[in-house]
Amino acid sequence: MKKINSLFALCFLAYSLNAMSMEVSFEEDHSVPLVYVSVSIKSGVVADPAKKLGLTNFLGDMMVRGTKTKTKEQIDLALDQMGAQLNAIIGTEVLTFRGSVLKSQLEPFLKLFGEILTSPSFPEKEIKKLKAETISAISEELSHDAGLASRRFARFLFGSHPYGNPLIGVEKHVDSFTTNDLLSHYRSVMQPERILVLGTGDSQKATLEAWAESLTPRLLDNAKHGAPLPLSAPPIPVANNKGLRVLLVDKPDRTQAQIFIGQFGLKMNEPRYFPLYAANHAFGGGSFQSTLMREVRVKRGWSYGANSAFRFGLQPRSWHVYLFPASKDAPQAAKLALDLVRDLHDKGVTEADFESSKKSLINGSGFNYNTAKKRTENRMTEKNLGLPEGFFRSYASELQKVSLDAANSAMRSFVDPDNLAIVVLGTASSLKEPLAKALDISPRQIAVVPYQQE
Amino acid sequence: MKITGPKTLALTAITFLAMGGCSSAPRMEVHTDARSEAKDAFPSKPGHQVLPITLSNSHGAQSSLQVHRFDFENGLRLLVIEDHTSPTFAYQTWFRVGSRNEVPTRTGLAHLFEHMMFKATKNFKEGEFDRILEEEGAMGLNAFTSQDYTAYVQELPKDSLETLVKLESDRMVNLVVDEAAFKTEREVVQNERRFRTENSPDGTLNQELYELAFSKHPYHWPVIGYKEDLENMSYTDASNFYRRYYKPASATIIISGDVDPNQTYEMIKKYYGGLQNQTVAETSGPVEDLTLIRETPPKSPQRKTLKLNLQNEKILVSYPGPDIRSEDLPALNFISGILSAGKSSRLEKALVDSGLAQGVYASPPDAADPGIFVIGASLQRGKKATHLEGVLLAELERLKKEPISKREMEKVKNLMQFDFYEALNSNSERCRYLGEFESITRDFRFGMDLFRRTMEVTPEQVQLAAQKYFDPSTRTILVGVPK
Repeated sequence: MKKINSLFALCFLAYSLNAMSMEVSFEEDHSVPLVYVSVSIKSGVVADPAKKLGLTNFLGDMMVRGTKTKTKEQIDLALDQMGAQLNAIIGTEVLTFRGSVLKSQLEPFLKLFGEILTSPSFPEKEIKKLKAETISAISEELSHDAGLASRRFARFLFGSHPYGNPLIGVEKHVDSFTTNDLLSHYRSVMQPERILVLGTGDSQKATLEAWAESLTPRLLDNAKHGAPLPLSAPPIPVANNKGLRVLLVDKPDRTQAQIFIGQFGLKMNEPRYFPLYAANHAFGGGSFQSTLMREVRVKRGWSYGANSAFRFGLQPRSWHVYLFPASKDAPQAAKLALDLVRDLHDKGVTEADFESSKKSLINGSGFNYNTAKKRTENRMTEKNLGLPEGFFRSYASELQKVSLDAANSAMRSFVDPDNLAIVVLGTASSLKEPLAKALDISPRQIAVVPYQQE
Repeated sequence: MKITGPKTLALTAITFLAMGGCSSAPRMEVHTDARSEAKDAFPSKPGHQVLPITLSNSHGAQSSLQVHRFDFENGLRLLVIEDHTSPTFAYQTWFRVGSRNEVPTRTGLAHLFEHMMFKATKNFKEGEFDRILEEEGAMGLNAFTSQDYTAYVQELPKDSLETLVKLESDRMVNLVVDEAAFKTEREVVQNERRFRTENSPDGTLNQELYELAFSKHPYHWPVIGYKEDLENMSYTDASNFYRRYYKPASATIIISGDVDPNQTYEMIKKYYGGLQNQTVAETSGPVEDLTLIRETPPKSPQRKTLKLNLQNEKILVSYPGPDIRSEDLPALNFISGILSAGKSSRLEKALVDSGLAQGVYASPPDAADPGIFVIGASLQRGKKATHLEGVLLAELERLKKEPISKREMEKVKNLMQFDFYEALNSNSERCRYLGEFESITRDFRFGMDLFRRTMEVTPEQVQLAAQKYFDPSTRTILVGVPK
């Protein structure tokens, strides 16, 4: 058995805390003359105020639309002139600015990037424009079935918990954002202890350290004036998620259905993470050999893809099965997927599937960290999810310890086939009755909502 | 045909010499000089040629990348790039066959066949290919089909090279095209088509645009094929397609990573060297080469509106363009950069900043046969494509009339330079970059040369290309509106 993780030479991901507790990591990579700089801020969707869903995403976008000395037009032009990119990316528990630039332009790039982080101006004109763009993007999501179904699944599973909130917000809230909302949220979010600076590429760590040091004094004022924000999502309420709950998102003229079946998940730092990770890989973790792919795609040709996956957060998020069969096959495919989840709980994965998955995961674990970019991303995830340093390098050794019994025992205690949330996006007029029949439930147990309804 | 050694063993070294520090972005220079041979630039076999292509600028060199090229007697080509930064490698097999090689009534066959390549062979039963490679630790085990090529890709730990070579060489000629497996996979592809086209407004519009822009050439039909054609396709069609197009002479293997070029060459020779090019069953008859067809540009503008299940209007505008080898292509590449690269690009400012669109792109032709220059935009809610169209067309007219400023030229060059380096920044990305040019032009160096020529484009060339290609009488406009 090969273990490429053990073959990796030492890499040079150096990290340190600067004076005001902003962590800086950098790994040199001189293969091409590019430098990547990311600034991640613990916040994300969970930091959105209750009546201001989408505010953190909006804040990130607005920060690159004007500073105290530069307009959006000047920022855009300057970045393009440098051959650089800078984007704010919203996540559930983190807001990340991802920058990349030609090495020769790193100095002016960092100067501009620093100004964007420390001196945004939130001009009214740009707020108005971004509102129109964001509201259009919200309606555009309705045209993409897979994304829409995924979003509805999160809402259906988590209800009013922040994990169920859409990343870019809802129209009514976005339309209400003001300059004051942004200023206030900026002060709360942009505090040094929330910020992690990571980089890789054709430069040195000292350059990034010096830059981070220069930002800190300018951000300290936020620490004095910003309202406190939680650093993680609240615990998940579980009381209402009992029984088989089915939501049919009704969209006309569909010849294909999107099906999500799932439940609450787990945290990556739980002891049962690796047993569950191995068992899930055998069941539906993206492999063509997995139970789901074999049963749904290879044997029956019902869906181009069929997989099961976890979503992780500071709180347990979700585990779900996803498939997208033709409408005509959707009821039977949903039933098959549900039966397979029950089998996973009752019987577990087979020894052959488990051993094959285990080999695959261990031998491929080096791909978790075989590039400088991946290693810096890992560092970011470790910090943001509270994982121990080197977590992603530990996969091979941790998986090596997992036995079939441990994997199946973990899955038996984790999967709850009697209390699942099922979301099907399709055309209700032709799907509802057959779906109810296939799942052996009354049609009244299937809630139907129009796809445009939030 | 028994292969005991390479017939014309060409070894090509590509050296990328990158920038040193400077306060402003320097102008990139690319030198191609096939005359200056440096036979001993690196360890090689007798008879190897070294054809250096150098990218450099006035600020000195920082990094280099060398591509070793081997041609085998049976027509197979091997490209190897050494990169020891991690004990892994990317391995891609590119076949010069795509939907352009199909015929009407059998559209989608190239892509459907791509699916079949993961089935049983004479030596391995169904599922074994995936299982063995996954157990080896394969990453990104996949394949893709375009109009011009089909590629099979994966990354693996370094000591899995021989296992992979054995499996890949086996499926190149030993596939068993089984009727039952074909029928199941055909249903999978029908479902993929529902996902990509039938239930996707963007997919539907894209398909419709090519149907309007091409009337005779195979680019007319979608790579994924038509529902009826897929339904009528048989495993015999697939079998004949395999024998016609899957052979060493149609393929290039590209490997980048922790490998030794000479040892890799020996391994490829061991497993592929003896492979013969397959012949087509006599009963299958000849296939008309529709790729020889040249479209006659439309004599008047074409326009169509589709009512779709979408919220915001969308627009696609296309003009007939040249093939990838055209001398005009660098200028058209540059125009796409002027129009849509970066947030300060002309269309971003005119369409997005102005509140008309959510996003916009401009895409130059990049195909083996004459293609189309496409501009696409998704509108903001409540905005009308007919209004956006006027603004967009005015920007194209501006390109014809006003020379581009030096500053804008420099900006676009910097953005393109960034994209170029990004395309070479990992094993799998650089295999893909080389593979596309190798498959379309039969020489990966074309990509480097195209980049060099794009960096040398002048404002006058931009203007002339805009005048030549953005001809209103040949324009196709497709609008998607909510039902």
